[in-house]
Amino acid sequence: MSDNKQHSANTESTDKNIQAAQPWSAGKKFGFRVLFILFLAMSIPFSGNWYTNVFQLNWLRPHYRDLYDIARFQPSFVTLFGGQRGGDITDAPAEKSGDKKGGKHKKQANGISDKAKTAGVSGNKNNTTPGADVFPPERHWLLDYIDWGIALLIGLVGGLIWTLFDRKSKSYPILYYWIRVVVRYRAGIGIIGFGFTKLFPTQMPYPSLGLLNTNFGDFTTQKIYWLSVGIVPWYQVFGGIVEIVAGTLLFFRRTTTYGAILLAAALGDITFVNYAYDGGVHVYAFYFVLLSLFLIADDVPGLYNLLIREKYTVPFKVYPDFKKPWLRYTRIGLKALTFIIFFGVLTYTEVINFKYDPYKQPATAGVKKLRGNYRVTEFKVNGKDIPYNPLDTTRWQEATFENWTTLTFRVNKPVQIDPSNGGGSPMRDLQRTFEISGVAGGQRAYYYYADTIDKVLYLQDKNAVAARGGARGGRRGGNESKADKPKKDNWISKTALAHIGDENHMIDKRAWSARRDREFAVPPRESKRNKMTLTYDTQDGSRVILSGINEKKDSIYVVLDRYERKYVLPKSTLVAGKYN
Amino acid sequence: MSKTDTKQSSQWTEKEKAIFRFFFLFFTLLALPLSVDLFKIIFGVNWLHINYSDIFNLTRLSAKFIPGDDSFINWLIIAVLALIGSLAWAKSRFKDADYDELYYWLRVIVRYRLAIGIIGYGIIKVFPLQSPFPSISNLNTAYGDFTDWKIFSMSLGIVPGYEAFLGGVEVLAGLLLLFRKTATIGAAIILVFTGNVFISNLAYEGGEYIYAFYLITLALFVLWFDAQRIYNLVSLERPTLPNKFKPAFAGTSRIVRLAGKALIIFFFVVLYGFKARTAIKNDQYQFPRTPGLAHAAGIYNVSEFKINNKALPYSATDSVRWKDVVFEKWATFSIRSNRPVAIDSANYEQVFADDKDRYYELAGSAGRHYYSYSIDSVNQVLTLENKNHHYKGEKLVLNYSRPDTATIILSGIDQKQDSIYVVLNKIDKKYPVQLSRRKSLKL
Repeated sequence: MSDNKQHSANTESTDKNIQAAQPWSAGKKFGFRVLFILFLAMSIPFSGNWYTNVFQLNWLRPHYRDLYDIARFQPSFVTLFGGQRGGDITDAPAEKSGDKKGGKHKKQANGISDKAKTAGVSGNKNNTTPGADVFPPERHWLLDYIDWGIALLIGLVGGLIWTLFDRKSKSYPILYYWIRVVVRYRAGIGIIGFGFTKLFPTQMPYPSLGLLNTNFGDFTTQKIYWLSVGIVPWYQVFGGIVEIVAGTLLFFRRTTTYGAILLAAALGDITFVNYAYDGGVHVYAFYFVLLSLFLIADDVPGLYNLLIREKYTVPFKVYPDFKKPWLRYTRIGLKALTFIIFFGVLTYTEVINFKYDPYKQPATAGVKKLRGNYRVTEFKVNGKDIPYNPLDTTRWQEATFENWTTLTFRVNKPVQIDPSNGGGSPMRDLQRTFEISGVAGGQRAYYYYADTIDKVLYLQDKNAVAARGGARGGRRGGNESKADKPKKDNWISKTALAHIGDENHMIDKRAWSARRDREFAVPPRESKRNKMTLTYDTQDGSRVILSGINEKKDSIYVVLDRYERKYVLPKSTLVAGKYN
Repeated sequence: MSKTDTKQSSQWTEKEKAIFRFFFLFFTLLALPLSVDLFKIIFGVNWLHINYSDIFNLTRLSAKFIPGDDSFINWLIIAVLALIGSLAWAKSRFKDADYDELYYWLRVIVRYRLAIGIIGYGIIKVFPLQSPFPSISNLNTAYGDFTDWKIFSMSLGIVPGYEAFLGGVEVLAGLLLLFRKTATIGAAIILVFTGNVFISNLAYEGGEYIYAFYLITLALFVLWFDAQRIYNLVSLERPTLPNKFKPAFAGTSRIVRLAGKALIIFFFVVLYGFKARTAIKNDQYQFPRTPGLAHAAGIYNVSEFKINNKALPYSATDSVRWKDVVFEKWATFSIRSNRPVAIDSANYEQVFADDKDRYYELAGSAGRHYYSYSIDSVNQVLTLENKNHHYKGEKLVLNYSRPDTATIILSGIDQKQDSIYVVLNKIDKKYPVQLSRRKSLKL
């Protein structure tokens, strides 16, 4: 078998060496200048939020989202120049978004897996159909890439200016090396940020009872995608490993090309998936493909020459002299910092997240006795009994109490579907909407505060779109926040609040963080959500009697009987959250 | 044919030759369709009216000495045979053959086998046959009542465009393998793509992980040829010598080679693709072909239910009363009730010609009982038979009447010989999966 050692006295090789040292043509120089500026613009964060996050990060009480938000950013020039776009790092939960100028909308920063991802929604404030402010406007598909177009424009303009001022340089091998470093680290950090949310599988939650009881045909396409990965947590772990490996390979010169190929393949697939399942992160996925292609380009001519033309190939690479101490120490220091932050701190925060506070799933344990699937044996509205009838538009068909603080029930009455993906990383359970987003079929999910002393549940509809859409159509943004001054919610009495306790501290101590404290410090505004106040009466949870006022201010009386529902879908050995 | 290029013949050490002898036999045996199913296919197929499913079954053949599911035991048998063979070879007069040439031909065999195999799956995705759009019954079954594998298949079925893209990648990889210089790229694509398929099969408990592993192994072998060169150039950044062995085909052998290539491309890509395309228009192989009751397809609420003249009201718990009923576009009728269902599960790729064997719609799902039916339109009678193998022999004979387009009244004898009377009212149901997410949806 042939060997690949040095082969001297080959005329081809000397030609190649001579070529390699020659100055670049004017075209090549100009092209490089444009690309240099373009990729610099693409790889550096330009949104205020990113910097705010970094500077207010409490390294002693971190939350995984602090680090994830460092890794997650993309070119966002439109917002910089005052335009409206879906928002960059986004986890403004639906209620808060009214505060921000110009309406920052809920958009998901979601991960990318081998199979695909979809994400939430970017909004436009000028649409006036009910609930439509949550939906992206109809527009040409290329407009999604407008930020890239602006980056290219900046590159072209910058390149021209540079050409005018720089007459002397013959070539830019060292600058080429450095821009490759920037892109390598940007891509590596970015993909590792996602990889960890899969390695400790929290990005795609295993379906709740409410979701398991919903017909396959009652989900949006996007939801079907997310659930299809959520049901196999070990596959999600594999996806995380692939992403982390790809990212790690990018941090080392010798393995960069392999990492870039893996990244391009994985995220190319995800881009397609996003278009197919109508996700929303196709731009961000394709961003990684672009970065990878730039990195692979360096080796393509050589590989083509070697494999396809089958010619002796001499690689020509120029590197800065790393023997200089300042370069050497900077390099080691940066690498070490990257590894400590993204493998040390991030791993720790992700494990905590998975075990005690999975970001897409409510973290607070529900009332211990109220757990499982329930049949609705009796249902009375204002004293009048309604027998079981699948066509009735008021009667609850079936109900579940999840492991956490949610009651779901199904009614044969259409509901405005929450089209988002239930992501972002809100701290309050109420805003963790994965269990209800993308779900039709009349399913409702209510978050509850439990006063276990007086045995009262204070319930709120988790579907904020349903409330908003019904109550008002049209604009969010400045007007709304002026009209509804943040009134303190007082539907729960002070004694009840004292019995309920402090939600912030209802999770395991290890998961407490500065970020969580910050979000809980902002008191919840009075919301337009549907509310219910129900007393619950039960011995051991197998029969539960609920009575009180429902969302339409009717008094209801519900008798629930728990039953063992066997699912075909296997449970997983990887279970997120702590609810005992 | 003879080898051209420089007279520098590569040096093979004795150790390398011994290893090569083993792998030559191992991979050749692995690549050939040494399957107990081979004869069934060769003699079972109507070669003049070949079906795309026949071509698929051909591409799917791999070493199988033990009938039944794929198993790694077959690999073990091959390994043992290869070992014995290589030892015999070492003593024979062939021990000093031209190993470069042998390596070339071995790689040809593996390349072509791999190409045919990957295109076999690619084409039934490009024309989305492998995972069809879910049936109405599937859409009206609870998510938790499906197996992992069934969910995976349905989740792919709702995006035929994406399925076609995946198939396109497979077909591309296969085509790249047919040409010596691009084979490595094709193998690399398969490594990544089929690597994912392999892990998915394990995760979703599909039955194809052994075959996926098979394709990956072949791809690794194809890639290995260039692996050291690539590593040397890309990672070690050293000047690298290309492959030196170039086969020379002259005269008749050249024509034979080109004809062989053309034939393979024609049969496994063009003809196969054409047949798959016609099939997707006329006969979705996963679902039965026979059309169902005219204009009846949809989901129906059971507004009245009488058994032996006793009316049963709506109930969440009664195990006899039907909850809802689906008429498919084809002749299948499914009932949702509280009656438990033992799952009929098949999770590997098979293509069935007969309607009665087409049980994809109920595979891996509980929650509903599925019946195939025949229509006697003169007497207005439907004869239903349970499709699930666990309930074989269950039969219902029902008279049907259709007072209007949205109502069907059934009366007759059920599977327990009780007389039933059922009134069905069509539900105008909209499915978000068929509507755009970008519009406001209230469902």
